[in-house]
Amino acid sequence: MRKLIGLALALCFLASGSARAADTIKIGLLAPMTGSWASEGQEMKKNVELLAKEQNDKGGVNGKKLEVVVEDDGGDPRTASLAAQRLSTKGVVAVIGTYGSAVTEATQNILDEAGIVQVANGSTAVRLTEKGLKYFFRTCPRDDEQGKVGAAAVQKMGAKRIALLHDSSAYSKGLADEINTILKAKKANVVFFDALTPKEQDYSAILTKLKAAKPDAVFFTGYYPEAGLLLKQKKQMGWNVPFIGGDAINNPDLVKIAGKEAAAGFEFLSPPVPADLDTHEAKAYLADYQKTYGGAPASIYGVLAGDGFRVVVKAIQETKSTKADDIRGYLVNKLKDFPGYTGKISFNQKGDRVGELYRVYKVDKAGNFVMQK
Amino acid sequence: MEQFFQQLTNGLAVGGIYALIALGYTMVYGVLKLINFAHGDLFTYGGYLGLTLLTSFLLQDRLGVLAGVGILTVMVMGLVGIMGVVLERAAYRPLREAPRLSAVVSALGASIFLQNALMLIYGARVQTYPEDILPQTAVSILGLQIPLIRILVVLASLVMMTALYLFVQKTKIGTAVRAAAIDQGAARLMGIDVNRVVSLVFLIGPALGGSAGLLVGLYYGQVNFTMGWVYGMKAFTAAILGGIGNIPGAMVGGLLLGVIEALGAAYLSIAWKDAIAFCVLILILIVRPTGLLGERVAEKV
Amino acid sequence: MSRKLLAGYAVVAVLMALAPRFLDAYWLDVLNSVGLYSLLALSLNLILGDAGLFNMGHAAFYAVGAYTAAILSTRVQLPILYAVPLAGLVAALFAAVVARPVIHLRGDYLLIVTIGMGEIVRIALVNDVFGLTGGANGIFGIARPVLFGHKIKRPEEFFYLIWAFVAATVFLFHRLEQSRFGRALNYLREDPVAAEGSGVNTVRYKLMAFVLGAAWAGMAGSIYAAKMTIISPESFSFWESVVLFLIVILGGSGSIPGVLLGAALVVGLPEIFRGFATARMLVFGLVMMVMMVVRRQGLLPLRRVRFKPSDVARAEAERAAAARVEVSP
Repeated sequence: MRKLIGLALALCFLASGSARAADTIKIGLLAPMTGSWASEGQEMKKNVELLAKEQNDKGGVNGKKLEVVVEDDGGDPRTASLAAQRLSTKGVVAVIGTYGSAVTEATQNILDEAGIVQVANGSTAVRLTEKGLKYFFRTCPRDDEQGKVGAAAVQKMGAKRIALLHDSSAYSKGLADEINTILKAKKANVVFFDALTPKEQDYSAILTKLKAAKPDAVFFTGYYPEAGLLLKQKKQMGWNVPFIGGDAINNPDLVKIAGKEAAAGFEFLSPPVPADLDTHEAKAYLADYQKTYGGAPASIYGVLAGDGFRVVVKAIQETKSTKADDIRGYLVNKLKDFPGYTGKISFNQKGDRVGELYRVYKVDKAGNFVMQK
Repeated sequence: MEQFFQQLTNGLAVGGIYALIALGYTMVYGVLKLINFAHGDLFTYGGYLGLTLLTSFLLQDRLGVLAGVGILTVMVMGLVGIMGVVLERAAYRPLREAPRLSAVVSALGASIFLQNALMLIYGARVQTYPEDILPQTAVSILGLQIPLIRILVVLASLVMMTALYLFVQKTKIGTAVRAAAIDQGAARLMGIDVNRVVSLVFLIGPALGGSAGLLVGLYYGQVNFTMGWVYGMKAFTAAILGGIGNIPGAMVGGLLLGVIEALGAAYLSIAWKDAIAFCVLILILIVRPTGLLGERVAEKV
Repeated sequence: MSRKLLAGYAVVAVLMALAPRFLDAYWLDVLNSVGLYSLLALSLNLILGDAGLFNMGHAAFYAVGAYTAAILSTRVQLPILYAVPLAGLVAALFAAVVARPVIHLRGDYLLIVTIGMGEIVRIALVNDVFGLTGGANGIFGIARPVLFGHKIKRPEEFFYLIWAFVAATVFLFHRLEQSRFGRALNYLREDPVAAEGSGVNTVRYKLMAFVLGAAWAGMAGSIYAAKMTIISPESFSFWESVVLFLIVILGGSGSIPGVLLGAALVVGLPEIFRGFATARMLVFGLVMMVMMVVRRQGLLPLRRVRFKPSDVARAEAERAAAARVEVSP
C-alpha cells in the first residue's frame, strides 16, 4: 500500500513539473522511435533535428531559438494518442508527424482540440483530410493521387492483364483498392487481387500463384523489404514479368535486398527524391546531411517530415506569430510553391498538398533510381 | 499440376527451416517442460551473427564457397549454442523448482530482452546479406525449374536432423538426454548429471536454431529483428504438430507445416495463410493432443 | 476483505477523485489508460489468477467487444453506452463457443491454443471478415458516450467514467471471490482432480470463468472504442495479450490489489520513462526475468488463508468447549 501512495505522489510531482521556457519556440515531432516503424521514426528525427540546427545557426526564428520536442508514438494508435496528449501539454506551437495513417488518425482529434497545427509526413489515407479538421496538414500526397498515377503507369506499360498485390496494411490495401477501382472503371482486366503477409521471408508460394494467373504486369503496393524479396525470388524462379511498385518501395535498401540483377527494370512511383532536385538549397541540405550523419537520407518520409518542419518555420517567420490560427491561415492562403526538398509545396483548404507529386522511377542496371519523364 | 509441385517444394524448403527451429523447442520442452519463448530470438541472432561474421571475415572469398559456408555455419552454431547455455544458467536454472508459469514468464522476458538488445545493436532496419554467396541457378527436375538453393536448404535440414536423431538414439549422452526427458528424478538416481544434460540440450537446440537463422539469411538474403517471433510461433506449432518432446516428430511436423502452409496459400488464400497454420494447430490439439507421432513426455496424473 | 485493504482502497479513491485538480490532460489520460488496463487485467485475473487457466489470447475478447461496439455505433447508430453491455454479451458468447472445445487441455497446451486463437482473431480483423471490420484500416467515426445529455470527450470526463467502472468492478470481483463461484474456482485451480472428486463440475466452472472474463474484457473494449473513436487491429495484437498476462502475474496472480498495482506500473512506468524510449522494452524484459527469480508470487500476492475473524473466533471457542467436555469425567 505504501507503494501505491508513493506512486501517486511521484505522479503528482512529475505532472506539476512541466515548466515552460519562454525564450525558445518548441516544435513537436511525433514519430515512431520504437516498434515496427522505428527506422522511419529515426529518419524523421534526423531530418528535423538537422533542420532545426541549421535554422538556429542562422539566428533562429523571430529572434528565438528553435527547440524540437520528440515523442515516441510506438507505431501504434494507443501510444500515439498518449504521445499527442503529452506534446499538447508541453507548449509546442506545432507538431510534425506522424507515419502511418491509423497512428496519425488516433492523434488528430487530440491535437485539433488542443488547437495545435499538425503537419503529417507519412499518412496517405484519403479520409484524414476529409473530416474538416482545421489544423491538420500533410506534406505527403494522398492514396487517390497515387492511385491515378499508378493506374496510368501500369497501362502505359501496355499491360492487358494486371495483377494487384498488397500486404493488408491500411496504406497498402488502400492504394491497391484505389488502383483497382480506377482500372475497373477503365475496363482493364484485373486478374489477381490478394495480399501477402509482411515480415515474412518466403514468398515463393505467392509468386507461384501469381504466375499461374498469367498477368502482364504486377503492381505491388507494399513496402520495400517485401518488394526486394519478391523481386529476388521472382528472379530465382526465372519469371520475368515486370513488377511496379508504390512509394513505400522508395528506399535504397531495395536494391541491396533484391540484388542488382533482379532489381534492374523495376519501376515504382515516388515523390521526387532529393537527389533529383537540382535546386541549390536541396543540394546544400544533402551535403549537410551527409556531413552530419555520414550518408544520404534513407527514407523519403524523413525528408517529407523535414519539409513539414520547414513550412511551419516559414509560417512562423512570415506571420511573426506562433498562434495556431495565424500559422494555419498562412499555410492555406499565403504559402504558394514553397521550395520544399521534395518539390514545390502549397496546401489547399483541406490541408492536402497541392500538385502532382508522383513521378515514375526505374531501377537501372547499376541499381540507381532513375526518374522517368 | 505444375503449380502443385512447385508449391510442394516451396513448402518443403520452408518446412525444413521450421523443422530445424522446432527441434530446439522440442528438446528443451522434453527435458524441462518449458516453452522457451526466447528460442525464436536465438534463431534471429544466428542470422545476424552470420551476417557479421560473413562481412568481417569474408571466408567465402578466401576458402571457396563450400568450405567458407561450412566454417561459418560451425562458428554460428557454436556462438548461438553458447548463448543458449548462458540463457539457461541465467534465466531458467534458478527457476527449476518453481511452478512452470514462472519459467514461462521468464522466457517471455528473455525473448523481449534479446529482441530489443538486437535492435539496439544492429538498428531497426532490415539487414541484407551480401549477394550471390550461394549459386543462384535453377535445376530442372521432372520438367520443373527448382532453384538449387531450395534443394540445398532441404538437404541441409535433413542432414542436421538425421545427425541429431542418431546422436540421441545411439550415443550414451544421447540416451542420458532421453532419460532426463522421461523422468529427471530417476535419471539423477541413475547417476546422470541432469544439470549437464540440460546445458547440453541448451547447447544443441539453440545451435540448430542458429544454423536455421544463418540458412534463412543465405537463402532469402535478408534478416530483420522481428523474424524470431514469426518463425518461432510457426516452429512451435510444428513441434506440437509432430508431438512435443519427440525429435522425429519435430522434423515431420516442420516439413508438414511448411507444406500445409504453401498449399493453403496456393489454393485457399494467401492472406489467411497464418490463420490456417494456427487452425491446424488448434485442431490437432483438440483431436490428437499428443501430436502426430505421440509425445515423449511422461504424464502426471 | 481485510481492514488494511479497505483503508488502502479508500486512500486510492480519494487520490483519484482529487486527481483532475492537479494533473494535466496528459497524465489524466495516462491514468485513463491505467484504468482500462486494470479492467482488462481484472477480467483476465478471473481466468488466469482465480481459475488458473493459462490464457494468452485475452486481447481477442477485448477486440471482439471493441469491434462490436464500433460496428453497432457506426452502422446502427446505437448510442455507445447501450453498446457496452451488448459488447460484453457478444464477447461472452464468443468465449463460450471458442473455449468449450479446448477447456480440458493441459496448462501449456491451453497457452498455445489461446495464443493461436488470439492470432486468428487478429488476422480475421485485418482481412475484413464478413465485410464488417474495415480491414487494416479499422473502424472510425465511433460516437462518444453521452451521459444524461452530456457528451464525454475530454480526458477528465473519461477519467470519471472509467474509474467509476473500475471501482464497481473491484467491488464486484471481491464479492465474487468470497462467493461459491470464487471458492469453486480456487479449488479447481489448486487441485483439479480433488475438486472434480468433490463434485465440483470443473468444466462448467472453467467455462464460466472464461465467459465472465471475456464479458468484462468486451465491455472494457467498448469503452476503449468510444474513447479513441477509431480502432484498428494493431491495438489487439499478441503483444497486448502478453502485457495483460504480465500484469496479472507480476501483480500477484489472483490478487485484485496486486493486479491494480501491476496495471499502474506496467502502463505508468513506460510513460514516466518516456525519455528512455528505446531502452524501455529492454528494461521490461529484464524486469520480467529478475522478478521471477526474486519475487515470483508477484508484488501483492494473495494471502492464502482467508477466514473471517469471526469464523476463527468461533472455531477456537468450539475447540475449547470440546476439550472441556473431554477432560471432565
